[in-house]
Amino acid sequence: MLGGLALLTVLAPLSAQRAIQVTSVRSLVFGTVFPGVRRTVLRTDPLNSGRLDIRATRNAQVQLIFTLPAVLNGPAGATMPVSFGGNDGGFSATRSVASQIGFDPRVPYVARLNANSSRASVFLGGSANPIASQRAGSYTGTVTLTVVYFP
Amino acid sequence: MSRAAWFVLGTLGVGATLRAQGVMIAPHAVFMSHGARSGAVTLLNPGTEPVEVAVSVFYGYTATDSTGQLTLVTVDHPDSTQPSASGWLQAFPRRLTVGPQEQQVVRLLATPPANLPDGEYWARLAFTAKAGQLPVAGVSDTGNIKVGLTLQVRTVIGLHYRKGVVRTGIAVSGLHALRQGDSVVVQARIERQGNAAYLGTVHGTVVASNGRVVGAFHVPVTVFYANEPRWAVSIGAAPADSYRLRLEITTEREDLQPELLLQSPVVRDSVEVTP
Repeated sequence: MLGGLALLTVLAPLSAQRAIQVTSVRSLVFGTVFPGVRRTVLRTDPLNSGRLDIRATRNAQVQLIFTLPAVLNGPAGATMPVSFGGNDGGFSATRSVASQIGFDPRVPYVARLNANSSRASVFLGGSANPIASQRAGSYTGTVTLTVVYFP
Repeated sequence: MSRAAWFVLGTLGVGATLRAQGVMIAPHAVFMSHGARSGAVTLLNPGTEPVEVAVSVFYGYTATDSTGQLTLVTVDHPDSTQPSASGWLQAFPRRLTVGPQEQQVVRLLATPPANLPDGEYWARLAFTAKAGQLPVAGVSDTGNIKVGLTLQVRTVIGLHYRKGVVRTGIAVSGLHALRQGDSVVVQARIERQGNAAYLGTVHGTVVASNGRVVGAFHVPVTVFYANEPRWAVSIGAAPADSYRLRLEITTEREDLQPELLLQSPVVRDSVEVTP
């Protein structure tokens, strides 16, 4: 019984410490990009789509708000346009890239975790649109996912 | 890291994804009392890289949009009629770096005006985590163009500050249920009573004429002012019948400690499902 009492002592104050975690698992990768050739990555691409994992409480509702760049910044002030379509966001309450509900990442989206799971995944696809005279070099940008926990 | 913190990690199974980058934030909703005027949020970094975190405080509350979906309403400059705690709530530190497999505490300090009336005041805490650029696998030099995207995560949680006598409740009106194929779409207006947000759970059941339950749902609900939510409950291939939707709303939550919840009577309503 002493062990049981000790466990109770630890658990009681911690049960109030429910947590939320959003983890960036995988960047959105466009792979080989050639000047003048549009490169699209689908949100269902298991290797190249962006992926973020959410851990919260079961049945929790969260609002997902992407802040997406219009261009990527490259060398000597060069930029490369990127675009995101109305079906480039994906939510999976089962964390499966093969089982997603598509949504428009350009507008807020409300998702709900499963009643029997505290985990979910968010996927992101998009297109890189290098122009024909695209300057060589590295291009970078930032995607921000805001996760609003309700309440 | 303390034993307590590791327990929290363990309950969410974080250990399996140490390669990923992000911070865990606990608790997921903050409740502060006027007596203590302080609070704390713990940030845990289960990853292998340090994470830079910026903390900000702003005023906001949830409401429903025209489609019945929850949405966060923010007000940059709330006036005196808004129960905002953002103007007198501070977080320390506002910028920090959480090392790999470390935890840090963000302290919250409230300095409300002396004549603050009894009631509940709201704010939102935003934690912006930047874990640096993730490796961009698969990039080739063939085209001599490399493309990388940095992922940044901003997590927003709610804060409730309570002073003196606080009470809550709800009034339900306009309950409507419509069958659409294999689902019943439910809509209602839920208006908050009292001077504090209503935190509860909606339990809905669709009942056939013989009393058999053909569909059910339960969903957490938070009402700051008034919500007009829309829920869809699956009833599968239920045959044509006279169905009734029963709604019960209680001040219970799976995700919050009972002592944090303001109690109010159970609210029940029902309506015939429109075929």
